Amino acid sequence: MAKRRRPKKRFLISFALAGALLAAAYTVYLDFTVRARFEGKRFALPARVYARPLELYPGLQLSPAELITELALLDYREAPQPREPGTYHWSSDALDLTTRPFVFADGPQEAAALRVEFAEGQVSALIDRGDGQSLQLARLEPALIGGIYPGKNEDRVLVKLDDVPGHLVDALIAVEDRRFFSHHGIDPRGIARAVIATASGDGVQGGSTLTQQLVKNFYLTAERTLRRKFTEMVMAVLLEAHYSKEEILETYLNEVYLGQDGNRGIHGFGLAAPFFFDKPLSRLDISEAALLVGMLKGPTYFSPRSHPKRALERRNLVLAQMAETGVITEQQWRSARATSLGVVARPSRGTSPYPAFLNLAYRQLMRDYRDEDLRSEGLQIFTTLDPRVQHSAESALSKRLARLEKNRGMKTGTLQGALLVTSTQNAEVQAVVGGRDPRFEGFNRALDAQRPIGSLIKPVVYLTALQEPQSYTLATLLDDSPLVLQQPGTDDWAPLNYDKEFHGEVSLRAALVNSYNVPTARLGLALGVPRVMANLRRLGIERELPEHASSLLGSNALSPLEVTEVYQTIAGDGFRTPLRAIRAVLTAEGEPLQSYPLNVEQEIEAAPLYLLTAAMQDVVREGTARELGAYLPADLEIAGKTGTTDDFRDSWFAGFTGDRLGVVWVGRDDNGPTGLTGASGAMTVWADMMAGLNPAPLILPEPENIERVWIDPVSGLLSDEGCRDAVELPFISGSAPTEAAPCGPRSLGGSIKGWFERTFGR
Amino acid sequence: MKAIRRAASLAAALLLAGCAVLQPGTPPEPSRNTAVLALLDKAQAQSSAGQLEAADASLERALRIEPRNPFLWQELARVRLGQGQYRQAENLAAKSNALAGEDKRLRAENWRLIGQARSRRGDQKGAQAAFERAKGE
Repeated sequence: MAKRRRPKKRFLISFALAGALLAAAYTVYLDFTVRARFEGKRFALPARVYARPLELYPGLQLSPAELITELALLDYREAPQPREPGTYHWSSDALDLTTRPFVFADGPQEAAALRVEFAEGQVSALIDRGDGQSLQLARLEPALIGGIYPGKNEDRVLVKLDDVPGHLVDALIAVEDRRFFSHHGIDPRGIARAVIATASGDGVQGGSTLTQQLVKNFYLTAERTLRRKFTEMVMAVLLEAHYSKEEILETYLNEVYLGQDGNRGIHGFGLAAPFFFDKPLSRLDISEAALLVGMLKGPTYFSPRSHPKRALERRNLVLAQMAETGVITEQQWRSARATSLGVVARPSRGTSPYPAFLNLAYRQLMRDYRDEDLRSEGLQIFTTLDPRVQHSAESALSKRLARLEKNRGMKTGTLQGALLVTSTQNAEVQAVVGGRDPRFEGFNRALDAQRPIGSLIKPVVYLTALQEPQSYTLATLLDDSPLVLQQPGTDDWAPLNYDKEFHGEVSLRAALVNSYNVPTARLGLALGVPRVMANLRRLGIERELPEHASSLLGSNALSPLEVTEVYQTIAGDGFRTPLRAIRAVLTAEGEPLQSYPLNVEQEIEAAPLYLLTAAMQDVVREGTARELGAYLPADLEIAGKTGTTDDFRDSWFAGFTGDRLGVVWVGRDDNGPTGLTGASGAMTVWADMMAGLNPAPLILPEPENIERVWIDPVSGLLSDEGCRDAVELPFISGSAPTEAAPCGPRSLGGSIKGWFERTFGR
Repeated sequence: MKAIRRAASLAAALLLAGCAVLQPGTPPEPSRNTAVLALLDKAQAQSSAGQLEAADASLERALRIEPRNPFLWQELARVRLGQGQYRQAENLAAKSNALAGEDKRLRAENWRLIGQARSRRGDQKGAQAAFERAKGE
């Protein structure tokens, strides 16, 4: 018998050994998993996208109200003594503020206590309140304008345990896990309770420590089985063996799900605090902390926005437990219980208040980054968005479209529009509006609506001509008589002018200024459609477009963004800079990853571009855009071009001041007629937008090979200052006419008449 | 030699900036905006210390305040030259020229920069032509 038992015993021992080995291997595996996940990427951190920082300096056009608006965007709060970073105080003549420390692409910047003085709509002085010295320049931190979120659209703001108010931790411990600081990951009493509940048929439930909850969130699915529960307990113990209570707690605070904002999941207390109370976590009071902790049990069920009553009861339960465990006094309990929820009402912002701009920034980032890196590495993206310009553009578009509909008896909501604003010299995109509801995250017309551009093509046709100064000048007479183009295989093409008339001979300048179609078509055909289209590519269109005779009158469809690229090169004096929405990218740790330096490429010679721009200024001064004078002062010398397509389906305006280019499209999504011309539609939006932005006058630098000559506009010949209707026009040196009109300088009658008029006036 | 000349012209520019009010008739200072002057100053210091990316950032800040200031574009051209981006240097100097107006001194310096950029990328003929233009200004 004894002999027989031995092998069985040995078998049992080896069985036990194998079991132990297996268990050990499984534990090692779990241990490895726990550590790898905890050490490595604990959270997928969305890329954070910032607006441009506001630079303050003496001479900056800025009103106190505009500065306060900017500070509101940065969540600054008013304080009688603004010593804390992120506070300000306005007194009768100056604004005192203290900036927050911030890491910019060019290095960290300390908090600074500043005084900003104003006079006549400008910043008149900037003073360091620390030492009383005046400053030349100060930079505010940039406003956060959105994020590029992980696939599940989880958003979070990481916090350190030190920044978490003590009463929030107290509330959490009191409600979720009272023995957190003494247990080793699992709480036997909790387990006992859970086992009894499970055994009595109430399902697997409860008893989870904070550590277990974290493990569950972190590594496991929502599956509720005993095996899963066991794995969870092992992992919790392992986690506790490797990490301190503080590390576990901090991770927990950053991990938990606390709500939903449109398509964006709100994770962690760091983000929940501003989301619900519009203030940083560090400033939550007891009742606010209790509300958030109470929501952990069911963020949707206890949402203070959708179920305020439930949320209030739950909060008071948390407060009661805090009082019961003695972390708050009776007095504190009473007063906290009596306060209202304190949750701020706000519209859902989804992933950004400026979805159209973010869309452009994202597309530009995708040239250099992988989508998953943008969504998980916590990159910091510094963009060119100027919130002030953006707001002006948004409100101009939505208000003006509503007004146009009302004044013209159109059905409300039928008009749509899009616009972009850039800075003319460095091609930074300051604003993008993708439709009349700027918060809408869907179809972005600024980038994706492709519409025939109509007369916006004309400057390209005229530029092509002016690049041949021996053949074409602003004074060259063009033929505006009926034109029929017959091409085999296509219908005859007989373009008409907008006024359905023919004007005989018109100067090249007048043809552009009045946007005559027939002479433009004839000119373009003489130059050759392919040459005009090649110029369009040089100016900034990167894709192939069909090349027809009708292309000369804008039959090709472009997006507002593409039109902006083209006009950017014109506004940039012939130097092309691809539009930039991104300035720099930093890692989550603030290390510079990439900068997008300013580069330019001269595409068009200075002189012909100068002539074109001068004529585009005349478009505003006396041509199809002259109504702009009713909105903006003439001395801004704005250059622009209107565009209207067949049956008034598309209304365009592209124009620039000394500092900004704006391109506006107005039309309908169903491509129906609107009855609007470029001037009566898009241009009015443009005007409203620019009027709010202190535009700088457009003073064109004159290239060296330009001379000014008096011309008789009717004959296109040389004239004299005193002659009737004479105009002074710029010419590329040597290209001005040499033959004089009857009143020209070398004609007898002209000189006498001219002398007469100069002497006695007209 | 070039460094000394640059330092000397920088010193002169700064001196002029400081004395412009006292000495009418001196060449124009790079800007009347003190923030722009401070940033230009900073950029030049960063350049001399070999921190070209930082100099670039400072100049771009200044250009956002005064986008049509030809001195800033010229300084940016100089930074690109230092970074070995010769075509960019040439384009930026041309941009400075387009905005320089009547300032012959500035134009001459731009042509010298263009000449240097062309020479360094092996276009000796083009460089010669640019240096001639510089003399002609």
